[in-house]
Amino acid sequence: MAESEEEVDVLVQRVVKDITIAFKRNPNIDEIGVIPCPEARYNRSPIVLVDNKLGVESWCVKFLLPYVHNKLLLYRQRKHWLDREALVDITCTLLLLNPDFTTAWNVRKELLQCGVLNPERDLYLGKLALTKFPKSPETWIHRRWVLQQILRQGHSRKQEQGEAEHAEMSQQLSDHLARTLHQEMKVCCDAACRYPSNYNAWSHRIWVLQHMAMGNIKVFHDELSSMRLWVSMHVSDHSGFHYRQFLLKELITELSQTQASTTITTTATTDSPQHCPNSLHHHGHSQANGELSGAEAGEEARQLSFTTVLQLFHQEMELCSDLIQSFPGHETLWSHRRHVFYLWHHWRKEHQLHCSSNGGSESVSVKDGDPGLQTVSAQSCAGRKCGESLNGQRNASEAMEVDGVSLPDPRDSKRLKRGVLLPDPPTLPSEYSFVSSILDKCCNPEQRRFALAYKKWLDTVIGQQP
Amino acid sequence: MKLYSLSVIHKGATKANLLKAAYDLSSFSFFQRSSIQEFMTFTSALIVERTSQGSRASVKEQEYLCHVYVRNDNLSAVVIADTEYPQRVCFTLLDKVLEEFSRQVDSIDWPSGSPETITYKALDIHLSKYQNPREADAMTKVQAELDETKIILHNTMESLLERGEKLDDLVAKSEHLGNQSKAFYKTARKQNSCCEIM
Repeated sequence: MAESEEEVDVLVQRVVKDITIAFKRNPNIDEIGVIPCPEARYNRSPIVLVDNKLGVESWCVKFLLPYVHNKLLLYRQRKHWLDREALVDITCTLLLLNPDFTTAWNVRKELLQCGVLNPERDLYLGKLALTKFPKSPETWIHRRWVLQQILRQGHSRKQEQGEAEHAEMSQQLSDHLARTLHQEMKVCCDAACRYPSNYNAWSHRIWVLQHMAMGNIKVFHDELSSMRLWVSMHVSDHSGFHYRQFLLKELITELSQTQASTTITTTATTDSPQHCPNSLHHHGHSQANGELSGAEAGEEARQLSFTTVLQLFHQEMELCSDLIQSFPGHETLWSHRRHVFYLWHHWRKEHQLHCSSNGGSESVSVKDGDPGLQTVSAQSCAGRKCGESLNGQRNASEAMEVDGVSLPDPRDSKRLKRGVLLPDPPTLPSEYSFVSSILDKCCNPEQRRFALAYKKWLDTVIGQQP
Repeated sequence: MKLYSLSVIHKGATKANLLKAAYDLSSFSFFQRSSIQEFMTFTSALIVERTSQGSRASVKEQEYLCHVYVRNDNLSAVVIADTEYPQRVCFTLLDKVLEEFSRQVDSIDWPSGSPETITYKALDIHLSKYQNPREADAMTKVQAELDETKIILHNTMESLLERGEKLDDLVAKSEHLGNQSKAFYKTARKQNSCCEIM
């Protein structure tokens, strides 16, 4: 079928039209795909729509793709004129079949800039292309460009407005941005599920947070907790864990700033769950605390963010230990452990310095030298070690209980005063004992190799530092 | 970490007979699901045919692992998972399913039964429950019960085949694979792509 050039022409034009019509008739299309089908059947359109999924029969791709590709190139070389509508349709077809064709995205950038296309429509097209090509670098790059357009638009609109309209307007804008942010997270998550260790999707997710939610502790906390299950189900996805490391680092930086300055910032531990999950610009929307005077409030806030940091580290290490024990032999988990411990190690050193330069007024004990903590962790380490050879399982659960006691109820953290036992932070001895507990009971050769490598890393990198 | 299919099969003298199967193909592209399902069924039956009585094996094929357990009474089960999913949990699941199945379905029906005639409903429930191995019952409990060294490991499907036999030929000859699935197999084979095919 469709051998002569003319026939191909007619066929392809019909297919492009069919795709356009399919989108017009059904605005809820949520996936695209190719249907394996070596030959045309009957005289039927190769475009199939089932359950909001748009499929193209494979036999027509070899006609369709070169045709739309050439047409667009001729247009770019000014050898062939296409009106705007035709351009929209042709780039759409082309990008659904080959989303890494940069020229087509560039044509769409121009169309967007002169107002023929709206940004949401391009985000939608990109989302569909990613269902078939979840890594497509050009699609992610174009997406970031579109998002920047949206941000810029919002920014200039804000400046145009008068005082009276300003409040309502900025509320609308931030709602809109919150929705966009939420949608981006969803798109990234889908792409990450479709392709393991999808670096492009995860680095896009980081970019989005950096440009649309910076300083918004609430969003970072929510991301960290919603990612928990995801990483537990994808224990060899290094990109997913890297994203977690990014979240952790940003949160700790942000919280440490709170600690240094004396502003009170709402954190997830004090936030009520009813709080609108998507509201942006939370930062600086300080919690009014009428009961406390300035200095006392500052002190309280410092203590609170300090506890939160400690809790973050504690929970991350717990998660990591748990996953390593449940799923032996995944290097990703061990390298995550390294990263978290390294982060903790540096944070602790920095804040030791910070506290003493503050005139030592801060007795919140970050130092290893805190006698209470040290003995507790040392004891539990010793306990773990000697019991391990008998029954590793029982001991692990005991250790958990010890941690459980020392971990304050998050809801109580507001009332936390000096002297209350803080969450068990990781220490060098506790890491060593973790490694030896793994070596004692595990015979998986990979797991043993990773455990030994981690031990060596502790010896050479952490142990050598003053 | 994902389980794609779970099937109960009877190993006959020459052929394997599918008794019941459950699938979770939500992570695959919509238009490929039917072909992938046919391939999983085809692969599961083939693996049972090539595995000897009373043994356990794991067969690696690209980024998938097919775990099989053929009991001494020829009742068998296959679970297809990704490489991340813990092997030990897969074999626990197989043991459990076969024990339950043999209690509920009379052994007279095994050689001639089919998914339509067999009433055993728990397969879908098991498949969805075991998607998260940590929520499925006590992952650690069975650790000691199963001797992992006795599980035979095949690094490719090809290693299950006899001399001179080719997977491509078996696919082409199969009555259970539709034309679309065969076309799908050919393209995927050519591209040697992951995520596209078993």
